[in-house]
Amino acid sequence: MSLDKNTNYIVSGLERSGTSMLMQILHAGGFPMAFDNSTRPPDENNPKGYFELEGGKIINKLMEKKFPFESFRGQFIKITAYGLKFLPPGRYRVIYSERDIEEILDSMEKMARIEDLSRNDTKDVFIKLNNRIKSSILDREDVEVLFVNYNKILENPKDSIQEIHDFFNSPEFSLEKMINCVDQKLYRKRRI
Amino acid sequence: MDNEHSTVEIPTDLYKMIEEKIKKTEVSSVADFIIALLKEKLSIDQSESLSNEDEEKIKERLKALGYMD
Repeated sequence: MSLDKNTNYIVSGLERSGTSMLMQILHAGGFPMAFDNSTRPPDENNPKGYFELEGGKIINKLMEKKFPFESFRGQFIKITAYGLKFLPPGRYRVIYSERDIEEILDSMEKMARIEDLSRNDTKDVFIKLNNRIKSSILDREDVEVLFVNYNKILENPKDSIQEIHDFFNSPEFSLEKMINCVDQKLYRKRRI
Repeated sequence: MDNEHSTVEIPTDLYKMIEEKIKKTEVSSVADFIIALLKEKLSIDQSESLSNEDEEKIKERLKALGYMD
């Protein structure tokens, strides 16, 4: 099964917004992916894996303009939201995940093992980041983007995943397997 | 917003694409779909820029989460 070999495919969104779940869904559907679970293996925060390259530290390479996008054309990779700020000109199709911001912050604090005493400031900053990145990728002619919502995917996997499947308009990817891979038991830090 | 409206034209094939898309949703008309989309885009465009202090806070959090060195 294949995607366009001249295009880079990216799953993005704020950290802890459901990006790993999206990678998992796409992997289940048979989409070509690039990830390496050996550098950051599955753990309590992502029991089914992170589906990342470079142990998740792509952002440093993007900032240094050293990430080899040409090596990953025709495959999905995960680049979290801040990394999209450094996306060079190219040809991209992006699936961008959003989630209730309080759930994101809860999940971040748990993963980082911190108690954020200035949580309201953190919340404002990450909302700003999300909006700036969304605005920037919407403005780019070399990016086609589909926005999805983690909370809606878990509430109604069939409709949300159908939308992702339709974005690619290709019967070679299994919609059924994509839907079946959504695991409600992993919906933790639920706020809504 | 007041109740005055202005007319905007869009290509027919785009109109039909939207008509097809909203069949599976609760959106009742092509106009409602376009208005909601534009309102969202305009609110995103009006969002604030990131200051240096904001970027440092983001980087600090990303390092704590293992997404940056």
